[in-house]
Amino acid sequence: MLLVPCPYCGPRNSSDLRHVGEAISRPDPNAASPEQWRSYLYLRDNVADWNVETWYCTRGCRKYFKVERNTATNEFRDPPMPGNKIGGKA
Amino acid sequence: MPEFESAIIKTYAPNPGASMFLSDESATTKLLVRSDQAQFGLVFGASSAVGEALICATRPDEWLILGSEPAVDAAAAGIDSGGFTNVIPFTHGRSLFRLTGAHAAGLLEKICGIDWSDAMTPEGAVTSASVALTTCDIIRHDRNGIRSYLLMCDRSFGQYLFDALLDAGDEFGISVE
Amino acid sequence: MTQSHRLNPQPGEVIDRSAPLNFTWNGKRLTGFQGDTIASALMANGVEVVSRSMKYHRPRGYMTADFWDPNGFVQVGDEPNVRSGHRQLTSGITVDPQNVWPSLDYDVKAANGLVGRFLSAGFYYKTFMKPAALWPAFEKVLATFAPGGSVDLDSTPGYYDKRYSHPDVLVAGGGPAGMAAAIAAAESGARVMLVEHEHQLGGHLRWGSTADQASARQLAESVAAAGVEVLTDSTVTGRYEDSWVAVSQRSHAHAVERLIKARAKVLIVAPGLIERPYVFAGNDKPGVMLSGAVRRSIAMYATRPGSRAVVFSGNADGDAAAIDLERVGVDVAAVIDARSGANIVEAHGGAKRVSSVELADGSSIDADLLVVAAGWTAPTSLLNMAGDRPVYDASCARFFPSATIDNVLSCGGIAGDGNFDEIVAHAQATGRLAAERAAAVQHRLQARTARSAPVEFAEPAWPADVRSPLGRDAHPELFQSSTVGMVDFSEDVSSKDLVLAAKEGYDSVELLKRFTTATMGPSQGKLETVNTVAVLADARGETIEEVGTTVWRPPYAPISLGGLAGRMFNPHRVSSIHPWHESNGQIPIQVAAWERPEHYGNPAGEVTNTRTNVGIIDVSPLGKLDLRGPDVPKLLNLLYTNKWSKLPIGGVRYGLMCAEDGVVLDDGVTGRLGEHHYLMTTTSSGAARVWEWAENWLQTEHPDWQVHITPVTTALSSINIAGPKSRELLSRLTSIDLSREAFPYMTLRTGIVAGIDDCIMWRIGFTGELSYEVHVPSGYGLHVWQALIDAGADLGVAPFGLEAQRIMRLEKGHFIVGQDTDGLTLAVSAGVASLIKLDKDDFVGKTELAWALADRMHELPQVVAIQTAAPTVVPTEATQIVRPGTNEILGRITSSRMSPTLGRSICMGQVPSSLAAGGTALELVLVPDGRRVAATVLDTHAHFDPEGARLRA
Repeated sequence: MLLVPCPYCGPRNSSDLRHVGEAISRPDPNAASPEQWRSYLYLRDNVADWNVETWYCTRGCRKYFKVERNTATNEFRDPPMPGNKIGGKA
Repeated sequence: MPEFESAIIKTYAPNPGASMFLSDESATTKLLVRSDQAQFGLVFGASSAVGEALICATRPDEWLILGSEPAVDAAAAGIDSGGFTNVIPFTHGRSLFRLTGAHAAGLLEKICGIDWSDAMTPEGAVTSASVALTTCDIIRHDRNGIRSYLLMCDRSFGQYLFDALLDAGDEFGISVE
Repeated sequence: MTQSHRLNPQPGEVIDRSAPLNFTWNGKRLTGFQGDTIASALMANGVEVVSRSMKYHRPRGYMTADFWDPNGFVQVGDEPNVRSGHRQLTSGITVDPQNVWPSLDYDVKAANGLVGRFLSAGFYYKTFMKPAALWPAFEKVLATFAPGGSVDLDSTPGYYDKRYSHPDVLVAGGGPAGMAAAIAAAESGARVMLVEHEHQLGGHLRWGSTADQASARQLAESVAAAGVEVLTDSTVTGRYEDSWVAVSQRSHAHAVERLIKARAKVLIVAPGLIERPYVFAGNDKPGVMLSGAVRRSIAMYATRPGSRAVVFSGNADGDAAAIDLERVGVDVAAVIDARSGANIVEAHGGAKRVSSVELADGSSIDADLLVVAAGWTAPTSLLNMAGDRPVYDASCARFFPSATIDNVLSCGGIAGDGNFDEIVAHAQATGRLAAERAAAVQHRLQARTARSAPVEFAEPAWPADVRSPLGRDAHPELFQSSTVGMVDFSEDVSSKDLVLAAKEGYDSVELLKRFTTATMGPSQGKLETVNTVAVLADARGETIEEVGTTVWRPPYAPISLGGLAGRMFNPHRVSSIHPWHESNGQIPIQVAAWERPEHYGNPAGEVTNTRTNVGIIDVSPLGKLDLRGPDVPKLLNLLYTNKWSKLPIGGVRYGLMCAEDGVVLDDGVTGRLGEHHYLMTTTSSGAARVWEWAENWLQTEHPDWQVHITPVTTALSSINIAGPKSRELLSRLTSIDLSREAFPYMTLRTGIVAGIDDCIMWRIGFTGELSYEVHVPSGYGLHVWQALIDAGADLGVAPFGLEAQRIMRLEKGHFIVGQDTDGLTLAVSAGVASLIKLDKDDFVGKTELAWALADRMHELPQVVAIQTAAPTVVPTEATQIVRPGTNEILGRITSSRMSPTLGRSICMGQVPSSLAAGGTALELVLVPDGRRVAATVLDTHAHFDPEGARLRA
């Protein structure tokens, strides 16, 4: 189980959090074209690399936060957490 | 006013040889402070006695005052109402239990993934986590040098959690106090 | 039978001869001793054949006589598939062989052996593929051949436990290296958990010399003195992300099995080495045993494994086995020294046991025991799981770790060879390094965790690995003889099967494994993997390095389903009024985690009473969010499709929430309690989702808005009082003016009800009746409920349950989110056009709803009320709606009930917009007989009181 670096609680089991997904920004709802809006709704990059994602600390501080994670190695990058994998690499 | 009714409605025979104790303290007055101002000088994860009340920094922007009604009222006088601050009566929203015993951490290890060692959860530590799949606020609040924890869950889960704690505590000789 | 094969007391024996234990085997009463395994007790009693093999039903005896023995699966009472080489004997147990019919000694299915070529690899895939229609018949026949014990469906499940743990250092393996590492780590200040697969610490020292056994005892004493938490008869079954380690503990005093989820800061892998079988003809006959099995049998259990032995030895352990045998009086007929090129080609024998051994030089030696010492397999599973890809060293005939992993260290036989002192010194260095690294990890964890004790020094540098590596002992490569033999004993896969499969094109090791099932049996490849690779390498004309090996995945050793499931937690929620429901005849229904009254015996009667007199329902599960702050109207305007800026204090309004794609998410009523104070209600099932949803918008999109959201779902117990006499009933319990003028529809009041302060009351009407929803501080919920029951006896007050509420809301035409709408239903399809305010600057879902209204309405369905022509027909929910006289599917019924109020069936459904007008004729295809009934769309959603006169009364 992943140890997720909650910037408020500290490292927590991923079962205490919800992985919200890739961090996305909301287009202006009154100006977006259908293509822009639907890419906001449905399209994600899904990279096998460093990726900014959103987590919600469901069981802990109940804060949403963004964190950079390498989806290929599950390494987290600081900030918000200094150090990457808490227990060293592997 | 009629008597406050706890979510714990079952009755339990005491276990005379017990070395661990669980008590229902749900009637304790609970006052929630939501604020963007630091309150009582307590940072998230810490707790402290103010008079007869216990103040717990339960979230980065939330403090919970626990105690008898007069004690909570007295402590509430110290709330910094500047900034964006709201005070919400919360006595009825949470069941509150106290678990006491030398092996209390061993019981919690069976139903909660937090590290209960002294280094990670020292006396006074406040955390929230899944306990037997319900979200609880947990405060380490030792009694006369004996390990003790206050556990708070949504009232509707109270009876379930109380029984889950007793089940997990069976091997440690637990008794309802 | 007496213990005919029990030796005189041995210095290191683990049995207690003063504690004899009776048990039955295959119907016979036998005796063993405390400390025996089932296997050692059977061997002490001279039992030779213990099982039949899976496919060919060949007779099998003990080969490794430990946890990994592929031949030792037995039924113990109602428990199937017990590993008799590992499970300790207890008094009075009933042990039976598995996979035999009609008996162990005479097995009809052993005929399989004669036609064995038809059961070659992939037999099932090839033979039973066609015709597919016959598969059920094939399956039935094959099921009688399926291996395994029998499951008693009536047996009571045991107490399986779970536990978390946070050791600094977790050591997998309690042999000399594991113990030395654990001691060194603990003495360096680490909290250490030591997990040993076997029943005792000591590893191979347990069956070694007297000096070895003394060393084992000494180390075990030091382990205890160092304060190490020791788990014996427990297995580290997996290592996962971020050093998450699973331990299956089989030795717990209070649980059948306990799964420990350990977040180890550093894992030390010290499982030792597993002895590898040798592939030759007859290598699975009873009487062929590995050298370790022979030595364990003698030293630990004082049993005599045979009377005349041939020892095939490729290493010092084989030589030691020969010495041990001679010491206890077994005639060692010959030691065949593999190091000098001698070889065995076949074990001959009858149905029950080896009788002679044929050598490569053509000679033959009579023997009832063939001891094989062909080498070692490094069980690198836990390293594989941490990302290591071990590398084969031909000079040592085994794999070694290759990767450097920060928090997984290895020591002992898996890491290299050496004498006792060298192994221990390396392990101690490993333990110290692990403790240092764990301290660095602890520093990181503590420094980053808000609640933890403060750290008073800077984070230490990551400790470097400066251990001197262990040496490696040469070992001959002994993988197969010149003859065909068994490679996977538990799956009955021979070297011939593997060669054939390779020829058929399954020549990648991962494919070969899956096609032949070699290494996939209960031994999890510990005995078979390297031989499988070696046979494949030979077939491909390549080296073992070139072929590579399969990746070892969790579990290290099989784990029971009970152990995996553990104690199941099923959080269960009840309202404060639950005790009343329980003692007043509720028929409960589980809705998500909530237990609620579905009804109290007569839901139709509850409807009629509510419509005639007054009913009360416990709606406490209704989601409730306390909203405070000057920007609450902004949040409401964002989350709901309608407008909230002008809701006055004391006002209540219904709102519909959408997701960003315009799909209906939730609905409910929100009231304004004060200048900056609101109470929002959500659906019961949506309570948690809406809270997270609202927090998400606040925290990520509008962090500048001042709003505090506090869930108060169970802080307030909620009671809906509905019916023409509800005003009269409530007036008896409150001094608040309930008159139509003072307290109109869709407004709220706060005050005292039944003596309870701080109650919130609002007038709404989900049931369509004059009704008040009272929210009471939960500590007094039961009191207020009882007061309503007591005060309304003369008014005919009676409780109603969820079912009556569902009937009444359907009569009234209120849709339920998730029942009448689904994951594709846009708000514009829900028949609430007046609630969608496109002139607001923004709300969640607005964009899609605007586009839908502009040009997609013709292709979207509508939620409509429907009535069947035949009033007694109640079509089941999900009944298909078709165009009359055709099979063209138009939509479906989403809700249906018999209405006690109207005396006819009523429905809600989804149909295309073009068919949503009142009076449109439809046809329903009934389940299950396909009968068709005519139906009509209604003008309004409401079947009853469409003008709403009753609720505004």
